[in-house]
Amino acid sequence: MISSDLEGVLPKEQIIHPEGEPHVLGNGGAQIIEVLSEEDISKVLAYANKYEKTVNIIAGGTKRGYGGTLEQADILLSLEKYKGIVEHSVGDLTLTVKAGTTLQEISEELAKSGQRIALDAPWPERATIGGILSANDSGPKRLLHGSGRDLVIGARIVYADGRVIRTGGKTVKNVAGYDMNKLFIGAMGTLGVISEITIKLRPLPKYEGLALLHFPNGDGENIRDFAVQILDSMMEPVTLEVLSPAMSEELMGKNAYTLAIAFEDQEKAVIYQENWVKENKPAAAELTVLHEDEARGWWMRFRHIGPNGHNDDDNEANTQAAFKIGTNNLDVIPAIETAESLASEYNVSVQSHGGAGHGISKVFIQGFPEDIVSFSKALRAKIEEKRGYVVCIHAPYALRKAIDVWGEKPAYFPILEGIKLANDPKRILNRHRFVGGI
Amino acid sequence: MFGKKSRKQPKDPLVRKLMDIVGENEVLYLKEDLVAYECDGFTMSKGMPRAVAFVHNAEEVSQIVKLLNREKVPYIARGAGTGLSGGATPLGGEVIISMVRMKRLLHVDLENRKAVVEPGFVNLKLTQSISDRGYYYAPDPSSQYACTIGGNVAENAGGAHCLKYGVTTNHILGLEVVLPNGEIVEIGEEGIPDRPGYDLIGLLTGSEGTLGIITKITCKVLKNPQGKKTVLAYFDEINDASQAVSDIISAGIIPAALEMMDQTAIHGVESGAHPVGHPRDIAAFLLIEVDGIEAGIDDQMNEIVEVCKKNHVREVKVAQSEAERELWWANRKTGFSAMGAISPDYLVQDGVIPRTRLPEVLTKIGEISKKYNLRIANIFHAGDGNLHPLVLYDARVPGEAERAAKAGSECLKVCADAGGSITGEHGVGIEKKEEMRFIFTDEEIEAQTNIRAVFNPEDLLNPGKLFPEPGRCVEVKRAKAQ
Ligand SMILES: Cc1cc2nc3c(=O)[nH]c(=O)nc-3n(C[C@H](O)[C@H](O)[C@H](O)COP(=O)(O)OP(=O)(O)OC[C@H]3O[C@@H](n4cnc5c(N)ncnc54)[C@H](O)[C@@H]3O)c2cc1C
Repeated sequence: MISSDLEGVLPKEQIIHPEGEPHVLGNGGAQIIEVLSEEDISKVLAYANKYEKTVNIIAGGTKRGYGGTLEQADILLSLEKYKGIVEHSVGDLTLTVKAGTTLQEISEELAKSGQRIALDAPWPERATIGGILSANDSGPKRLLHGSGRDLVIGARIVYADGRVIRTGGKTVKNVAGYDMNKLFIGAMGTLGVISEITIKLRPLPKYEGLALLHFPNGDGENIRDFAVQILDSMMEPVTLEVLSPAMSEELMGKNAYTLAIAFEDQEKAVIYQENWVKENKPAAAELTVLHEDEARGWWMRFRHIGPNGHNDDDNEANTQAAFKIGTNNLDVIPAIETAESLASEYNVSVQSHGGAGHGISKVFIQGFPEDIVSFSKALRAKIEEKRGYVVCIHAPYALRKAIDVWGEKPAYFPILEGIKLANDPKRILNRHRFVGGI
Repeated sequence: MFGKKSRKQPKDPLVRKLMDIVGENEVLYLKEDLVAYECDGFTMSKGMPRAVAFVHNAEEVSQIVKLLNREKVPYIARGAGTGLSGGATPLGGEVIISMVRMKRLLHVDLENRKAVVEPGFVNLKLTQSISDRGYYYAPDPSSQYACTIGGNVAENAGGAHCLKYGVTTNHILGLEVVLPNGEIVEIGEEGIPDRPGYDLIGLLTGSEGTLGIITKITCKVLKNPQGKKTVLAYFDEINDASQAVSDIISAGIIPAALEMMDQTAIHGVESGAHPVGHPRDIAAFLLIEVDGIEAGIDDQMNEIVEVCKKNHVREVKVAQSEAERELWWANRKTGFSAMGAISPDYLVQDGVIPRTRLPEVLTKIGEISKKYNLRIANIFHAGDGNLHPLVLYDARVPGEAERAAKAGSECLKVCADAGGSITGEHGVGIEKKEEMRFIFTDEEIEAQTNIRAVFNPEDLLNPGKLFPEPGRCVEVKRAKAQ
């Protein structure tokens, strides 16, 4: 490569020179490159590494507002057109897929064989599998099925210098060498570009049910008691998701805290568990039960709430942001209550949900930027009192500087930085996107 | 026999320094005491450690690590020493840091479904400590009565019930680790998932004691299933049994366990400590367990039995009582050691394959057995495609051990060539270092050793394990770069 011009690297048609204002969510690039193959990714990175050009990575753009203090890198590498199923081994329940394939595309294809990826991350028709894993996004069903780290068994990663390195393999069990897959899940693209992913599949459930329990307001204790009771029973809920009143209102027109308990099993087992809920629920809680298509439809609507990188409003008063909270499992209930009470204190509107069996909550918030900042600070202070954490998973670029996206660096930060430098010594990939400015 | 041996003063000044840290009686240094630490459960490779120090807390580990760094002495953490690939085996001259006295259960929080243990806590004890309240710890290696949870994390141990519930890495929420610079760090505090940062818990799990010494573990615990049903399915043809495994998985059924044993293995276990009375003339059996909500169990099991019937099963037997079920599992879980009843020595291999390749790979293993004129028994986690060919040999016959090792390695090659891996749960250790090349290129191995260098730059912590000696390509490239 003699020229330092990208046009010598890939055909002109794959290079876009964006005009106008930078994107409101930042994380853009002076040039956008649409890659169509792993070789393309490799070439672009080799070029960028050689000339020390910074590279932001994007696919569906749903997480464009997640981290990052670079408004523009030299290059925005887009994987949106790098998609498709490489191999679906039905009998092995494994799938190898290109990173830019959306979760929806994958689900539709797998459903033909009665299988699925057991990941219920939001905005499935936009979110790509590569993006979901890089951001380690997940949904309520992680309670039973686990999250990305539990599902990925292998990958092909393009390292910063353009080399392709395989991690893991194609078998569901494998302990040969380090479990390098884990490094790239949740790394926000700072260690390499995930090119292909091999993932464990699950059969589609034989039967699905959803028990929705609406609790009268101010009844956190009752929700907690019931969650403890079901967790201590031998029922096998797939979700135990607490919804804030505003979120319930949007989904069901019921302004009340709601506990969404999903079951997936043989039909008899689902009905049996729903009956258990009916018999054991607190008297004041109102129960709605949905089955099969209705249950699936409900979850689909659930997955379409909150920012998606394409639905930000120009009006300052409707600025939106989102937070991921990690707490002890049962502290999810007070975490959501905290978000509720801070919302009225800081004059923002909030919808939130969290899994009482897995400890991850999400808070979607709308309001004036300065109120969002104050809210986020107060929220973090409260959550950290109980050793939880708060991460800002969506905010406009301008706001991200005022909100501390990741919170304090961990004590072992030098190890994280060491790993970054081992993979990307020139720090070209998604620079400043991750914890501690990595 | 006569109480404490009167000890000679140790000549090695390093031993004195270790004693200053952990106590006079907590260091072994005499040859006769050290021989027990020459190897782990993989007995083909042995090395003499310089000393063994028994630690009691993270602070002591940290002090020892700092001392050994100053003295440039290599060291190894050791749990129960049941490892099957030589992970805790010295190459010669290492100090062994034994974790077995750090064996307390520190905290149980059933409401939040977690338990905190010290690394020397024995796997089975965790389940025993919480079973009265209906909870258990899912990863169940067959060695669970002896192996430590620290060793499980280091090896990312699996077990019979990992098909449905996942292996160790899926059950670890937090770790306290002494890094090779002596620093004590906590990862995944409180066991809260997804903390910001690279997934160091995931990386450390399965790192075979080369990245840090684990001093505390937060484990996920689960509620017992409401119902369970266990069956034995006897087959006259090995291919029918393996086809049944593949068909069960393809049918979208995920049993809690799906284990297989072939005829040679059956002869072994029937001569072992827990005979079940399996017919001796069958070619293979499947041990299948389903669990979950009682109302759904019969439907699940019926589907499985249908699949077995389609594959010409001779007989399907349902366990009639918990006692019978336990006997079947004892028969399975003591399978490796039972080989001692039919062969003076055996080598356990641990290849993994995509499940659909089972019939063809078992045939090839049969051919390897013929080629080397050594019996190979198969006892394995069929549902995850995790094979355990047991190569039976007699070490007293000159050359037979070497032949067994070669046969074992060839089995791994067959697995690798079928799109699989060289180890599903026992780790690479010393044993399978060279076989890493069956599945990884030099560059891919280097990507991993670069990560090791971040944690363990001097390579004093468990050196010479896990990775083959640098390949020529990489060396040549380096030479060019310089
Ligand atoms: C009969 C038998 C059956 C077995 N069945 C199974 C099975 O079904 N599934 C399975 O997965 N394995 C099985 N194993 C293998 C073995 O029991 C596991 O690998 C187990 O996890 C090892 O635990 P340990 O305490 O004995 O560790 P050790 O053998 O003492 O050590 C293993 C490795 O872990 C490292 N290590 C130990 N403790 C620590 C620590 N605290 N911090 C950092 N590193 C540490 C050591 O350095 C070494 O590399 C079996 C072994 C036997 C003998």
